[in-house]
Amino acid sequence: MTESLNITVDRREGLAVIYTEGYINNQGGEEIAKAAYKLLDEGYKVLLLNLAGTKIVNSIGISILIEIIEKMIEIDGKLGFCCLTPTIEKTFHIMGLAQYAPIFPDEATAVAQMRS
Amino acid sequence: MEVTPRAGTVTPAWDELVTLARDEASERQMLERLLDLWRREHGADSAGLYLERAGALQQEVAVGLHLPAAIAETADGALSHGLGSLTFPGGHLLFTPPGAFAATPTSDPVTLLLAAALRSSRLKQDLKEQQFQVNYRVVELEALYDVGLAVASTLDLDRLSEEILMRAVSLLDARRGALYILEDGRYRLDRIFGGEAAPWFAGEDPGLRRFLAGSLTGGGEAPAHLLPGARYLLGVPIEVESGPRGLIAVGDKESRRGVGPFLTSDRRTLSLFANQAALALENARLHLQALEKERLEREMHLAAEIQRQILPKGAPVVPGYELIGWYRPARQVGGDYYDLFRRDDGQVGLVVGDVTGKGMPAALMVSTLHSALRLLLDQTGFVPAMLERLSRHIGESSAANKFITMLVAELSPASGVLHYMNAGHNPGILLHAGGGVEELKPGGVPLGLIPGARYQSSAVTLGRGDLVCIYSDGITEAAAPDEEEFGMERLIGILRAERERPLSAVIEAITSAVGDFSQGLPQGDDQTLVLLRRL
Repeated sequence: MTESLNITVDRREGLAVIYTEGYINNQGGEEIAKAAYKLLDEGYKVLLLNLAGTKIVNSIGISILIEIIEKMIEIDGKLGFCCLTPTIEKTFHIMGLAQYAPIFPDEATAVAQMRS
Repeated sequence: MEVTPRAGTVTPAWDELVTLARDEASERQMLERLLDLWRREHGADSAGLYLERAGALQQEVAVGLHLPAAIAETADGALSHGLGSLTFPGGHLLFTPPGAFAATPTSDPVTLLLAAALRSSRLKQDLKEQQFQVNYRVVELEALYDVGLAVASTLDLDRLSEEILMRAVSLLDARRGALYILEDGRYRLDRIFGGEAAPWFAGEDPGLRRFLAGSLTGGGEAPAHLLPGARYLLGVPIEVESGPRGLIAVGDKESRRGVGPFLTSDRRTLSLFANQAALALENARLHLQALEKERLEREMHLAAEIQRQILPKGAPVVPGYELIGWYRPARQVGGDYYDLFRRDDGQVGLVVGDVTGKGMPAALMVSTLHSALRLLLDQTGFVPAMLERLSRHIGESSAANKFITMLVAELSPASGVLHYMNAGHNPGILLHAGGGVEELKPGGVPLGLIPGARYQSSAVTLGRGDLVCIYSDGITEAAAPDEEEFGMERLIGILRAERERPLSAVIEAITSAVGDFSQGLPQGDDQTLVLLRRL
């Protein structure tokens, strides 16, 4: 297991998917925010965060994800999550993230529903 | 709501604000318009509202030319960016050019409105922070509950260790962590998250003991190689009632500004996880113990089955003689062995052996002895060379310090001659009908003990009424509570007293006397008896 986070981005028609691998902490959260804001600058207003490669997230990482959600709401964009471990999904529900950013079980379902 | 428009160039902006309020526009839109109104009233190029958050000024809203999203620390920092600044409780109004605002805040109603809006934003921010903290406490409780459930529902120690360490690192906002398990007097690294950790620590490492016993500490007070490179460490022992089982350590507590020391509440949280880990480790240890016991029982069962197959089902019928064998193991599987058989040439074989050790290894050795003895007897006949080959075979096929004592005899029924060879076994007893006693003494060392061992064969002739008793040391060395042994003399006494009775009754008399002698003490060794009487 590693404390660093690797990010890859897949730009698609009208939607971009951010894949994470590793710990979503302060550093990891900032990496995600940087990637998300860059995509917003490029004109993407629908973002999907695929967390299949992430098994651990801390409160700093969550607060940064909340900031990204707030930013998306501010610009009338959409942010969704998919492929969460049960622990992370439960945490997102308790912390209120799921209230503003839908959680999908898999990427195909997420892409189909976020595009509609 | 009736609002009287203000005269002048900003009147349209007021009109717009009123319209936005009627249309229930978002708070942010209202704030932007209000700020823009302020900017235009004061001839500023740009204006922004900033909240003090996490040691920096964070932009809430801005209008006009570009302003930075965040500015370090205080209003002085803002001025260093070439900005004008008005300070309000919890935040700042920053603008360019710096000289744009000339009036005092209390004399300007729009400025006062902005100050109120900033205060409102500050309160909302505080509320959000508090809600976040409350929610995160719920996450902590849920995590403890989940780990508790996992502890109760699985014995997969690997999965539990990983779960406990990941949850601890995550909930304490740590960057790194490690879980150690105490084994054979030292702490072995079982799980690690992030970076490197020492593979092990001595259980009595004084630095580690001080660190675990201490309160919150910086990296300098902890063992340097626990989590090398970590600036701040927190560690707690994993303990059960009977003593320590391991430890959990985490390193470098994160905040938005970097890393810092852990808090008192973090120690409490980590201790709760350590308690869960202790339960998990103890459960898994007990489970492994139970599995080991089950494995041993299965092995003993199998060994007992092997032994049952080897021991004779009964004694061969030999006209003119009475013959019987009896065996009682001390455990499920013992190291004693006996055999009674009639060969093709009419000769009758009698064997009593005692293998060192117990359990499966002894059973396998008995199995080797049984098959090799029968085979060699067929090949070479009852001669010392047979025993010498057998000894070599046993020595080569068994572990060091393993050997077998054995008395093997061959009766010629017609003549009553009993040839015997004694490889380090207890002397057999020949009780003559007239009351005299002869011992069938050793003629060599135990089988497998010495390479190249030599043996000698001896013979006695049985007359009518003569009784032969071959036995294992479990009979003569059976001990009383005062540690006195049953001994050969008592055995001979019983043989004398019971000599006229059927052999089964003699066996019963011997075993009963041995039992009485031991006075209920557990049987310490296997007991074997072979009796032969010429009728």
